[in-house]
Amino acid sequence: MSSVWLPCGDYHQNYSQDQGWWQTTLIQFKMLTLLAVAFIGCPWALPQDWHWVAWVFAALGVVLGLVKIIADPPRLKGEWVLFPFILAVLLLYRLPDYYLSVLVMIGYYSMGALGVQLLIGYTGLITLGHAAFIAVGAYVSALMVLYFHWPRFIIDAGLAYPISIIVAGVIAGFWSILFGLPSAKVKGFYLILTTMAAQFITVDFILTQYVAQIGGRGQAFSLPPGTIKVGPWVIDSDVKVYVMMAGILTLMVAFVANLLRSRVGRAWVAIRDNDIAAETMGINIVTYKLMAFFVAGFLGGVTGAFWLSNTAALSPEHFPWFLSLWLVGIILIGGVGSIHGAILGSLFMVLITESLQWGVLPLTDYYDEIANTLDPGRFKLMLDWLVPKLLMDFAYIKEMVFGLAICAFLIFEPNGLSYRWWQTKNYFNLWPFSY
Amino acid sequence: METKITKDLTIPKLFVAKCRQYGDSKVAMREKEFGIWIPFTWQDYYAKVKRICLGLVSLGLKPGDKVAMMGDNRPEGLWVEMAALCAGGVGVWLFRDSMSDEVKYIIEQSDTRFFIGESQEEVDKGLAIFDECPKLEKIVWDDPKGMRNYKQDCLISLNRLMELGKTLDEKEPSLFEQLVAKGRGDDICLLFYTSGTTALPKGVLLTHYNMLTMGANLMAVDPCKETDDFVSYLPFAWIGEQMMSVSCGLQVGYTVNFPEEPDTAMENIREIGPHVMFAPPRLYEGMTRQVQVKHMDSGWIKRNMYTLALKIGYAAANMKFDKKPVPFYLKIALALANLLVLNKLKDHLGMSRLRKAYTGGAAMGPDHFRFFHALGVNLKQIYGQTEIAGIAIVHRDGDIKFDTVGTPIPGTEVKIGEDGEILCKSPSVFLGYYKNDEATQKTLLDGWLATGDKGFIDEDGHLVVFDRSKDVMTLSDGRPFSPQYLETRLKFSPYVQEAWIIGSDRKYVTAVMCIDYAVVGKWADDKKLNYTSYMELSQKEEVYNLIASQVEMANQDLPEPAKIHKIVNLYKIFDADDEELTRTSKLRRAFVEKRYKQIVDALYQDTDVIHMDTTITYEDGREQHIMTDLRIQKLNV
Repeated sequence: MSSVWLPCGDYHQNYSQDQGWWQTTLIQFKMLTLLAVAFIGCPWALPQDWHWVAWVFAALGVVLGLVKIIADPPRLKGEWVLFPFILAVLLLYRLPDYYLSVLVMIGYYSMGALGVQLLIGYTGLITLGHAAFIAVGAYVSALMVLYFHWPRFIIDAGLAYPISIIVAGVIAGFWSILFGLPSAKVKGFYLILTTMAAQFITVDFILTQYVAQIGGRGQAFSLPPGTIKVGPWVIDSDVKVYVMMAGILTLMVAFVANLLRSRVGRAWVAIRDNDIAAETMGINIVTYKLMAFFVAGFLGGVTGAFWLSNTAALSPEHFPWFLSLWLVGIILIGGVGSIHGAILGSLFMVLITESLQWGVLPLTDYYDEIANTLDPGRFKLMLDWLVPKLLMDFAYIKEMVFGLAICAFLIFEPNGLSYRWWQTKNYFNLWPFSY
Repeated sequence: METKITKDLTIPKLFVAKCRQYGDSKVAMREKEFGIWIPFTWQDYYAKVKRICLGLVSLGLKPGDKVAMMGDNRPEGLWVEMAALCAGGVGVWLFRDSMSDEVKYIIEQSDTRFFIGESQEEVDKGLAIFDECPKLEKIVWDDPKGMRNYKQDCLISLNRLMELGKTLDEKEPSLFEQLVAKGRGDDICLLFYTSGTTALPKGVLLTHYNMLTMGANLMAVDPCKETDDFVSYLPFAWIGEQMMSVSCGLQVGYTVNFPEEPDTAMENIREIGPHVMFAPPRLYEGMTRQVQVKHMDSGWIKRNMYTLALKIGYAAANMKFDKKPVPFYLKIALALANLLVLNKLKDHLGMSRLRKAYTGGAAMGPDHFRFFHALGVNLKQIYGQTEIAGIAIVHRDGDIKFDTVGTPIPGTEVKIGEDGEILCKSPSVFLGYYKNDEATQKTLLDGWLATGDKGFIDEDGHLVVFDRSKDVMTLSDGRPFSPQYLETRLKFSPYVQEAWIIGSDRKYVTAVMCIDYAVVGKWADDKKLNYTSYMELSQKEEVYNLIASQVEMANQDLPEPAKIHKIVNLYKIFDADDEELTRTSKLRRAFVEKRYKQIVDALYQDTDVIHMDTTITYEDGREQHIMTDLRIQKLNV
C-alpha cells in the first residue's frame, strides 16, 4: 500500500498510481518548491532592471488568489495560489557565495551518503569503505581529463568531463563489486572488515603508491583552469559548482528513489529485512547484493568525479578512512533506511561544524582585542592558552563533535532526523487528533 | 439519464440497458484487494452476471426459484444477486453471522433451491443443514480457501458455475437476453426476512416495481450523480443496503465500492470518501465515540482547537435547526473553524466529499444528530421498513429537525390511524409475507401498510415517530417515558456502548449498561487499573463510578419521571448471537427482560448484589457457563 498519507477521496486503482511520484498535489507542490529553491532561489537573483518580472509573478498570484476566493474552480488547489509568490521571492534574492560553498559541502556528503544509505539502509550490507569508491571515481575522472587523448570536437563541445563522470561511475561500480564479492559468504561484522579492506587496499596502497605517482608530480594532481568544463561552461565559480552539485544530486536522488520503487528496490529491502526469507521467496541474493554494491559504487564514483569540480586538485588525503566513517555517521544521524536521511544528516553535520567555526573565529578575534585589558592571573593564563588552541586544533574539535553527535543521536533520537521529519508531518496529518 | 419506471421494467432490464449505455467507459464497482482498488467496468459486470446467470440456468434454475445468498460485501455478491434476478429467480439474502438454526429456518421457509456462500464458513453452515432441507439442491462457493477437501456432490465452485454458463452461452447465444426480456415489473425479485424484534423472521415479498419506484422516488428528492462513489459495507441482507447498491445504484449508475475486509471498512470508507452514505445509527454512534475518545487523548493545542471549533459548529448548527439566518460574524468564525479543524476532522471520518448522509433503521439520539451537523455533515433521518422496500419518509435539505423523520417522498402518502399508528401507502408497498397470510392481512389494510409504529404529524408536516408502539412505557403511577430516547441519550457517552432502560409499570426507571470495552479499557490503562476481561473490568468500583457520573450527567436534563435511579453494569455486551439484539442491532426488549429476569427483579428490590448463573453462546454454537456477582449502584437523583 502506498506509504503516502492520502486525503480522503484519493484512492488508487492500479499499482503505478500506488507508486507514483506525485500522489497528491501537496506533494507535487512541495517537490516543485524544493526544486525551485535549489535551482532558482539559492544561486540566482534577478538583476536590478529585471525586478519587474518578480512583480509580475506576484500579481499573477494575487489574480489566482482572487479567482480561488470568488470562483473556486475545483482544479485550482490552494497550493498553486501560493506558488507565484514563492517564485517571486526566490527570483528577488540569492544566497551569498560563502553559503553556496557550504551547500556544496552538504551536497557532496549527501551524494556520498546516498550510496552508503543504499548499502546499509536498504540492503543491510554494512560498509566502512565507501571513501574508496569515491576516490576511484575522482582518480578515474581526473586521469581521463588530464591524460586521455580526446578527439578535438569533444573537448570543444565540453564533453570530456561529463563523459569522464559517467565512466568514473561505471569503473567505481565494478571496483565496488570486486569488494562486494565477500558479501556472498560473510555477513554483519565480518563484512565490515572486508569493506574496510577496500579502503586500505584502494586508497592507502594502490592510489597513494601507484596512481598518484602518474605524471611524476609527487602526490597531488592539479587540474589546469579550463579543463573542468561542462558544455560551454567552465566550472570556475562557487555558483557554477553549486549548480553542478544541485543537478547531480537531484538526478541521483531521482535515480535512487526510482530504483527503490522497482523490483530491484523491493528485492533489496527484502534482503535487508531477512535474507533467508528473501532467498526462499526466490530472490537471488548474491546477484542483488552485488547489484547493490555496483549501484553504490557507481554513485560513489560520480560523487568523486564531481569532487574535482569543487577542488580542481586531487590527492589521496581527500579520501581518508575517516570519510567512510563520517558517511556512516551521517546516515545514522539522518536516519537509516531513508533518502531524506542522507540529506538531512549531511545538512546537520555540516551546519554543526560550520556553526562551530562561526563561533570560534569571532571569539578569537574578540579575545585578541580584549586580552590586554584583562587582569593578569591564572585565569588569563588559561585563556591565553585555550583560545588560540581552539583555533589551531579545530580539526580535532570537529571530530569530537562528530563523536558527540552520534552518541547523542543514538541515545535520544535513534531513528534519526528523518523520523523526526516524519513525525512532524504526522502531527499535522493526524490533526486534530494524536493517533 | 432519467429512468422512467413502468410496470414492464425490471431490475435486470435496467441493468442490461445501463451496461449497454456505459460499456467499458465507466467503472461500475471497485473492490479493494492487495492494497489497491481494482475496478470493474459495466462491461465486466455484464459479462460476469451473464455467465453466472446462465450457469445457474444450466443447473436448472427456473423463474420464481429462490436463490439464497450469504457472504460479505463483495462484487461477487452483487453479481450473483443480479444473475439470479436475470434468470427470473428470487434473491434471498442471509446475514453472514446468522447461526445454523436461523439459516435453516430461512432456507426451509423460503423453499430455497440454490445456496450461494462466499467461503468455507458459509459452506459449512449450508452443509450442516443440507440434509434437513429437502428442497436445497446445490451449494455454490467462491473463495477456495480451505475448500480443497470438500468433495460433496452438492458443492460447485463459482468458477465452475461460470464455465457452465460460458458453455451454455456458446450453445445458445441469445438465451440471456431472452431470459431478461421475459421478466415483468410485477414479478417478485427479492424475498427479505425482517429482523423482527418480537417474533420469528417473516419473509417480505418485494417486486421489481417496488424496488425501482422506491429508488426513483428517493432520487427525486436527493439526486445523486453518476460520477459519485458509494461504499457498500453493510450486510446485503439489510434493505437499506439493497436500496443504495441495487435500486439507486442501478438507476443513477454511481460506482459501488467494496472494502477489503469487514474489519477495514472504516479505513476503506476514508480512502474512498463516498458522496452518499446510508447507515444505521450504531455506525454513527461508533464514529462519534471514536472522535470523542481521540479528542480526549490528543495534546493540549489540538484538544482546545477542537473544542473551540466544535463550539462554533454547534452554534451554527443550532441556528440552522431553528431556521434562523446565520449572522455574519458566525459565518466567518465557521469558515475559520472549517479551515483549521472541521475539514480535517471530516477527512478522518471519510466525510469530506459527503453530500448526504442518511440514518435509518432505528432511532438516533438528538445528541448524535447535532454532533454531525456541527461538523457540517448533512445527516438526515430516513424512515421506512422492509415492507415498503426501504424508505418512505426522509428529511429535506435545509428542513431538518432532529426529533422528526422528515416528510414523505414523492408517491408516498402517510396518515395516522385511529390508535395513533402510522399508515403508509406507496407504489413500493410489498405484496405480502411469504406463506404467512395471517400476518399479511394484519399489515396490509386496503393498500395501506400498517407500520406498527406510533407517531403524529407536526405543524411543519414532518412525521414524528414516537416509538415502536410496544416499546412506549409508563411508570406504575401512569407517567410515560420513552426508553429508546433515554438509551440514545446514554449512548452519547463514549464509555457506554449499549444501554437497556427498564421501568415499565415500575416505580422508577433503572438501566442496565454495557461499557465500551476499548474505551473504558484505555481509560483503565491510563488510571493503572488492572483487569483481565470484560467481565472483570465492568465490575470495577472505579468503572461503576465513571458510568454513574455519565448517567448522572444525562439525568440532569431529563424530566422527573425519566430520571434513572439505579444502574447495573452487565458482564457482557448485548449480542445478536445470544438473540439479545436483532441482526440489525436493535435491542430485543422482551427477550432480554426474560433472560435477565434476575437482574430486573433485583433492581427493584432493596439489594446491592445480584448473583448471576448463566450461559453465553458463541457464533459457532459453543456455550460458556458464567457465574458472577453484579453490583447495583444507586444514583443521586
